[in-house]
Amino acid sequence: MASDDRALAFDCGTDRLYGILSLPQQACARGVLVVVGGPQYRAGSHRQFTLLARHLADDGAAVLRFDYRGMGDSEGEARDFEAVADDLRAAIDAFMNAVPGLREVVLWGLCDAASAIAMYAATDARVAGVVLLNPWVRSDDGMARATLKHYYRARLLDPAFWRKLLRGRFDVAASLRSMLGLARTALRGRARPAAGAAAPAAFPERMRSGMQSFRGPVLLIFSGADLVAREFCDLAGADPAWQRLLAASHVTRRQLDQADHTFSRRAWRDQVADWTGTWLRSW
Amino acid sequence: MSSAPVRPAAQAEPFFLDGAPGRRFCLFHPPAGTCRGALLYVHPFAEEMNRSRRMAALQARALAQQGYGVLQIDLYGCGDSSGDFGDARWDIWKDDLARGAAWLAAHCGQPLTLWGLRLGALLALDYARAAAHPVAHPIAHPITSMLLWQPVTKGTSYLTQFLRLRLAGELLDSGAAQGGTDALRQALRAGETVEIAGYDLAPQLAAALDGLPALEAMAPSCPVHWFEAVSAAGGASATGGAGGALPAGAARVAAAWRERGVDLHLHALPGAPFWATPETTVNADWLAATCAAMERRETEQHDGV
Repeated sequence: MASDDRALAFDCGTDRLYGILSLPQQACARGVLVVVGGPQYRAGSHRQFTLLARHLADDGAAVLRFDYRGMGDSEGEARDFEAVADDLRAAIDAFMNAVPGLREVVLWGLCDAASAIAMYAATDARVAGVVLLNPWVRSDDGMARATLKHYYRARLLDPAFWRKLLRGRFDVAASLRSMLGLARTALRGRARPAAGAAAPAAFPERMRSGMQSFRGPVLLIFSGADLVAREFCDLAGADPAWQRLLAASHVTRRQLDQADHTFSRRAWRDQVADWTGTWLRSW
Repeated sequence: MSSAPVRPAAQAEPFFLDGAPGRRFCLFHPPAGTCRGALLYVHPFAEEMNRSRRMAALQARALAQQGYGVLQIDLYGCGDSSGDFGDARWDIWKDDLARGAAWLAAHCGQPLTLWGLRLGALLALDYARAAAHPVAHPIAHPITSMLLWQPVTKGTSYLTQFLRLRLAGELLDSGAAQGGTDALRQALRAGETVEIAGYDLAPQLAAALDGLPALEAMAPSCPVHWFEAVSAAGGASATGGAGGALPAGAARVAAAWRERGVDLHLHALPGAPFWATPETTVNADWLAATCAAMERRETEQHDGV
């Protein structure tokens, strides 16, 4: 069934926000709001959110994806994912107004958008379910994140790195492996104290209490080759409250072993869209 | 600034523009006050488009505030527009620019400035080249100036850099990259679509990038403002300086264009490459310098008359 995309502009406070509505010919009462994380905007890395919205809308669910204030095309000051509750509420208002017959929404989010959803979901009765992918639980921009996102990427953009690669790729590969090994060790070492009672980070605590209050179905999707997902699983695995939460019958858990943080291959993207669609129709 | 607008620009209007095939997402920033001119923004390639989205939006709003009507258009297979990235073709993208230019002419009716970032700048230049051959490729809406943001200077080198992202992915997965960019190019030449960093690259699009002439040979016939990010240590001047800190490739092109009489204004600005940084980067000096260049362009035009 062919869906149709419509542009949507709405306000949050005095700022104008922009989004895209993917509408099925006959929308069901449950819609999906895609929340955008990290430095992305509403199309998503390698257009993951654009393609996901079209996939779900072809299956009969209305989908809205939007830029919150200070991101992408939207107006306003940039803000942290811990401070987007007003944006989410405004987007759900706009979504409901734009799609007559819509009665409830599922919030779908990757990385720190998943964290924002975990904190928000229980505060809004219109949220019927949540899909969290590779939730972000790091409370500081520590060494590991810097290694992965900055240092490593910087090396990839460095011509000297490529000259070395062309001369002898095995040495370079080994050094990369050892660098990643160090990053993993660093993450494991840092995750454990954070999970204990000594010095709990503020927002992972808020995520947990948010999810404890939320009664709707939860779909968790993890990438096997992602340190963000690994850190979440380490944190949750070391905390009895998280363990009880994740073992509950309303929680469905999926893992894509080969996938990276953003599901950067068509096969992985399609698998995520398929899992999401199947889960949406299962309750 | 005697012509400064007295009221703020209206909020941007998002819409879909009919195109064949499909539709293109557009965001129009109406000018504050009397319209002084129209700008068409041409976004960069693949993930660079996403990373620079914020800078593009901030610049578009600033230019609208200054009295320009600005149209952002998502090219076919990109952003919120129809189609898959793997269906995108260079010629469809040039048609998209013609569509955007026609829309602006109908809604602003003012001289057109093309504003392109990275590969978008190269696309804008290639589109503008058609103006030199009006019989073969009629351009209904003449281009009176161009803003080039860090233009890609060679399509084939840019393609090589893009292909390297795939090798980097293979290194991470298995510790070794199979073949090299040559092997990927061979696959493309054999008609295969290759997936790179989540984007399907069609052999036709790759061939178009490989077949583009170098920038030296694409000298535009209108005035150009060229913005290039240089490392802060370079100490380049912020306004139309000699550009001593420019990368060699850009400097070569600039020299070639000047030799051919192009009215070229170079702006070498310190700052991170905002189209590539992992976190969203905003460069306020870059935004201000672009607004100043548009202001100056207008003054010069008036002086010229």
